[in-house]
Amino acid sequence: MLSINMNLIVAFALALVGVLIYRSHLMSTLLCLEGMMLSLFILMTLLITHFHMFSMSMLPLILLVFSACEAGIGLALLVKISTTHGNDYIQNLNLLQC
Amino acid sequence: MSPYVTTILTLSLFIGTCLTIFSEHWFTAWMGLEINTLAIIPMMTTPKNPRATEAATKYFLTQSTASMVMMFAIIYNAWSTNQWTLMQLSDNWASIAMTLALAIKLGLAPFHFWVPEVTQGIPLLTGMILLTWQKLAPTAILFQIAPHLNMKILIMLAILSTLVGGWGGLNQTHLRKILAYSSIAHMGWMIIIVQINPTLTILSLTIYIMATLTMFLTLNLSNVTKIKSLGGLWNKSATTTIIILLTLLSLGGLPPLTGFMPKWLILQELINNNNIMTATLMALSALLNLFFYMRLIYASSLTMFPSTNNSKMQWYNNPTQITMLIPTTTVISSLLLPLTPLFITLS
Repeated sequence: MLSINMNLIVAFALALVGVLIYRSHLMSTLLCLEGMMLSLFILMTLLITHFHMFSMSMLPLILLVFSACEAGIGLALLVKISTTHGNDYIQNLNLLQC
Repeated sequence: MSPYVTTILTLSLFIGTCLTIFSEHWFTAWMGLEINTLAIIPMMTTPKNPRATEAATKYFLTQSTASMVMMFAIIYNAWSTNQWTLMQLSDNWASIAMTLALAIKLGLAPFHFWVPEVTQGIPLLTGMILLTWQKLAPTAILFQIAPHLNMKILIMLAILSTLVGGWGGLNQTHLRKILAYSSIAHMGWMIIIVQINPTLTILSLTIYIMATLTMFLTLNLSNVTKIKSLGGLWNKSATTTIIILLTLLSLGGLPPLTGFMPKWLILQELINNNNIMTATLMALSALLNLFFYMRLIYASSLTMFPSTNNSKMQWYNNPTQITMLIPTTTVISSLLLPLTPLFITLS
């Protein structure tokens, strides 16, 4: 396995751990999601150039488009959370727990 | 919401699921799931209260994390096998990551915490879409990659789901949370059989969707969300209580009703494959589900609560809501058991 490949997998794993463990601001969770998506983007581009799959060279761009949509929805929810709850702490999202 | 927006969102939901079901390439399957997630979030935030926003945020975070993990599994699989086809998930680690991602998407047991909370926060009809239509696309992927999955992980997920779905619902008084826990338990029944006989998964999913549709439509008809308000249902519309009784017994899997068929076939298939311990555990945990269904039945149709009743005989007035779908789904979710030989032949 290439070392840059390893590097990107570690970046993805770190961002995933960030989403799962680091729970203070919603904003930081969204940034971690974005980090996961960007490492996946580079990983996919490397894959396509490495194996010369040129029929699929549009895929990383489509991935990026979807990640932009997700980031947009995430930011919209962030704005909505900060209007309804007052701040964006994740521990404040406890209205629905049983 | 304006009708244009509603149309676009509904069409996107439809197209997302269809894209996933009919796709051969991993990337389009992933795109369909993503479109599904993005389309339902504006529907969830339609009521302008903090609970709906919170539910939408929780749904968004879990689903987007799951879809990232899924994309990672896809890329990892493509690195090691050079394949993008849905059927070829031959890398071991990629298949484990894919199983976990789909488990988060479906709300299987170690990853089930979002299901009751999200269902509790959103309106009834959106909850209905969440618990029925949104399950189709991940199950379709699971159905296609079933031969490459790890049986031990699947059995663990399934048994945990049925147990958690049973135990969790015991302590709830909100109908949407109870239905969410019943969804978790039914997902467990679907997952246990997906490698042995995938057709039974589809059969089980179809019957579960029909029963859940009936439940949510009848609850939406009278706008009931708590067990306590179920007690006044006889006054609003008396026939609804019988529909709720039949549907809940069918969801619990009692013999003369449709819900018995998937449970029967799944248990038979498990015993034929020498999984007797698993079958016993599943059958026993179904009893827990039946217990809290019985509580709903008791509140809705077996007793009359001694509460003051200001407006008697509301059922005497003609209803204004459209109830066309309810009789059909009621009949399908309660009377289909005689068709079992047909389903066995088809599968």
